[in-house]
Amino acid sequence: MDLTLIVVLVIALALFFDFTNGFHDTANAMATPIATGAITPKKAVALAAILNLVGAFLSTEVAKTISGGIINEDPTTGVQIMPEMIFAGLMGAVVWNVFTWLLGLPSSSSHALFGGLVGAAIVGAGFGAIDYGVLLSKVLLPALCAPLIAGVSAYMCTKLAYSITKRQNGASPKRGGFRYGQIFSSSLVALAHGTNDAQKTMGVITLTLVASGLQTAGTGPHLWVVATCAIAIALGTYTGGWRIIRTMGSGLTDVKPAQGFAAEVSTASAILTSSHLGFALSTTQVASGSVIGSGLGRKGAEVRWGTAGRIALGWLFTLPAAAIIGGLAAWLTHTGAVGVGIVAVLGVGMLLLFWYLSRKNHVGHEDTLSDIDNSGAAVNILSKKERRARAKAEAKAARKAAQEAMDKEPDNS
Amino acid sequence: MIDWSAFLIVALVSWVAALCIVTAYSFGVRLLAVARDEGSNTSASKLGAYLCFGVCGVIVLFGVVLIVPQLSRAILGA
Repeated sequence: MDLTLIVVLVIALALFFDFTNGFHDTANAMATPIATGAITPKKAVALAAILNLVGAFLSTEVAKTISGGIINEDPTTGVQIMPEMIFAGLMGAVVWNVFTWLLGLPSSSSHALFGGLVGAAIVGAGFGAIDYGVLLSKVLLPALCAPLIAGVSAYMCTKLAYSITKRQNGASPKRGGFRYGQIFSSSLVALAHGTNDAQKTMGVITLTLVASGLQTAGTGPHLWVVATCAIAIALGTYTGGWRIIRTMGSGLTDVKPAQGFAAEVSTASAILTSSHLGFALSTTQVASGSVIGSGLGRKGAEVRWGTAGRIALGWLFTLPAAAIIGGLAAWLTHTGAVGVGIVAVLGVGMLLLFWYLSRKNHVGHEDTLSDIDNSGAAVNILSKKERRARAKAEAKAARKAAQEAMDKEPDNS
Repeated sequence: MIDWSAFLIVALVSWVAALCIVTAYSFGVRLLAVARDEGSNTSASKLGAYLCFGVCGVIVLFGVVLIVPQLSRAILGA
């Protein structure tokens, strides 16, 4: 087996994973400001891309283990991570990421990466290769905590924002001012994303180079690795995963400026505190939880639990599904160079299929505005008084109809 | 194995931080709305509003310092 060929394949796939990570996670930062009209879709993805690029260059501490400790990577007692195994794991992560994008589901890219690697490691070295305690405390528990922390935070913030800005004398509260705040809060999320996620791919590439003897162990990533990873994630972000942005921005609940601001501040503060106090939470899960919490906090906003359920189901499946794909890929790569070739061809075929399916039901940046804002721009929104009058009239009509039906009933029997 | 205290700390700190920013910004928005009312002390309200936005700006800057490792090393020493 030619070592350099597989290394090149791993680097290419890692960069593509970085790209999918970018377009999968644009939604975390930019879905709500786009939905409220705080920033136009094109400008939003451009801003997020620039901040991701900057963030990727700023992060210097590259992950020391590929799997974050889930796989026992100790050089003496653990599994020896081969480039083939990383290749199979990345394939699982990429295929699952593109598949969830096709469904418009926000799912954690890191969980997909962990899943793919876990599957590849189990096939390569048996079930003993996995540290289940770490799996529980680093993947499963945060998956439950993240939406909870962020959701409660967003709920409280939304309530607070609306009660503070409420005017007693019936004057307009002018909550549109929250739109400007949204730009800053979402930029913070995008920057944090760039520093965290590009770093993972850098770690994967660097560890592959070390494993294949092309780089001395213990040295930092090469400049070209940093630069290509930064560009890949920024390009991915700029491409904009519009399907996921639509789900996050208007699929879960209709977002208004004050509510969106509360959600983003909650996301930003949860991500920053978790990454600095040592309980890493998934950005995607935090952001989704914030949007749901803010929807619960605003009077008159409804949360579409069907969509929330589909997202939760996606989270549940992310790790096992990526593991199964990664495992299958690892099983194929065991046959040597031919197997690696088959995996590469099959993987590219799957991605092309997903892409083809996505063209059938195209979702572009024009589909990402919240319905409330869209209809508000198109037609005149009724004032509170008018709405009340209309509801009263409707209720009256309904009562009348019910009364008539009751009167008629005896005739039928 | 499971560090519940870390979980609790993360939850509390992120709630407090988010509530602080939202409180300050909301008061800013409210004061700006008050400043547009007739017969109110416009300049005082506006000043208050910009003070509130300033507080938010400081908290956001602190967030940037936390995100950027070079800055947090230089300023926070960790």
